[in-house]
Amino acid sequence: MLETHMLNPEGYKNTPDGFAFQTRIPYYRGITLSIIRNIQVVVDGVEYPREAVTITVNGETFPLEEARTVISNRWRFGQFGEIGVKKEGGLAAGDHELAVTITVAPSYMPMQLVKTGHGKFTV
Amino acid sequence: MKYNIKRSVSLYSYQEAYFTGKLDLEGCIREAAKAGAAGIELLAEQMIEDFPVITEGFKKQWFEWMEKYGVEPSCMDAFLENHIYDNRVCTLREQIDNMRRDIEIAHALGFKVLRTLVSTPMEVIEGSLPIAEANDVKIGLEVHSPFSLNSGWSEGYMEMIRRTGTKYFGFIPDFGIFCNKIPTELTNQALANGAHPQCVELVNQAFKNRCEKGFVKIRYDKNLGAANMDYRMANGQGELMDAIKKAGGNNADFAYAGSSFAYTWNDPQDIVDNIDYIFHTHAKCYHIDETYQETCIPMQRVIDAYKKAGYHGYLSTEWEGAEMIEDASDSCVEQVRRHLGCMRRCIDAPFCES
Repeated sequence: MLETHMLNPEGYKNTPDGFAFQTRIPYYRGITLSIIRNIQVVVDGVEYPREAVTITVNGETFPLEEARTVISNRWRFGQFGEIGVKKEGGLAAGDHELAVTITVAPSYMPMQLVKTGHGKFTV
Repeated sequence: MKYNIKRSVSLYSYQEAYFTGKLDLEGCIREAAKAGAAGIELLAEQMIEDFPVITEGFKKQWFEWMEKYGVEPSCMDAFLENHIYDNRVCTLREQIDNMRRDIEIAHALGFKVLRTLVSTPMEVIEGSLPIAEANDVKIGLEVHSPFSLNSGWSEGYMEMIRRTGTKYFGFIPDFGIFCNKIPTELTNQALANGAHPQCVELVNQAFKNRCEKGFVKIRYDKNLGAANMDYRMANGQGELMDAIKKAGGNNADFAYAGSSFAYTWNDPQDIVDNIDYIFHTHAKCYHIDETYQETCIPMQRVIDAYKKAGYHGYLSTEWEGAEMIEDASDSCVEQVRRHLGCMRRCIDAPFCES
């Protein structure tokens, strides 16, 4: 299943205003960012607020609220997108566990698609 | 009836190998050809990097691959993204424009058939017919379980075909409508997720009963969610859920029970009855064993119906077992290879019309 291969083991890092990681979309085709309903980030059991999360695809970065109107930037099937999370000081040095849950709303589905990927990494 | 049944592969089958970078688009085409396919089915949105732009460079490359591997385009799968905006549904004009885009891509890449989904509104299909005709691309509506032929649902489309007299619209049956068992891998996955064997047995027995008694077919309704729920209830979902609750079922049990209604068994005679409107087929499959048997679809029986009907067209392997196993990035290639072997055996088997 695609969830097994979502996260890039080389993609974790601290950033000037928090941390970031790379994930593929756990769905079988490329999508416009507009159909992403949510990206929930939980690290070591701590859930980060939706407002703290951004997505970067093809060199453009959007907070999740803004991504809702993006119809000309496609997140390709199999392509890594970078998820940024605002957190002062970033993550502490040491081992961490990540669960990222991506919710998309393909037009033809009566319900939304919710898929979770899990990753372990060291800062 | 004379028939000419050809084999194709939907590159959808290789999605996990593509996703992980083990196969690129050319690699998928190469594997399909190696497995014996004459046709290539493509989800443009899945494997064309510049989608929806078709560059001259890509187009040239695409036809070079077709020639190099001795294959031809069979069907392009489209997704009408009519909810591309969160706060409104696209207008009829916008939806037809979206169809135009996809029909033109199909035409540019040599596809004669465009698969559309059951969620494509009737007026969008009807409004796209002149575009389909101008591009010589037929629009095929996927008959995906739990939808079925010879049903209130398909009759809604038959009415449109008769009224317009179109030759550019028809059905693409998906073999998920010919499951006489629940896919074994789905059962294994449920058990691995903690489902109770006695609850799994309840679900399997209920499915067997539905197959024996005959499924209540789905009706035509613009509200697909409502039609689907009514179909489920009419086929005993309520009673099954009650029985699982009584047996102390957990989330994995309920999930398995719910999933079981995604598979249906229909009489393969449905193909014969509707053959005038069938010009492509998704040979959906889930698990093919070492003896080249699809473990939940009676392939010989289904393919015999295509022979009886005098079908001229592709059976396009669409392996969907990936989501039932942890890692399909290697096994997808072998599963497709086996399925094409299975189809060859069924196609080559002597057929006498009874």
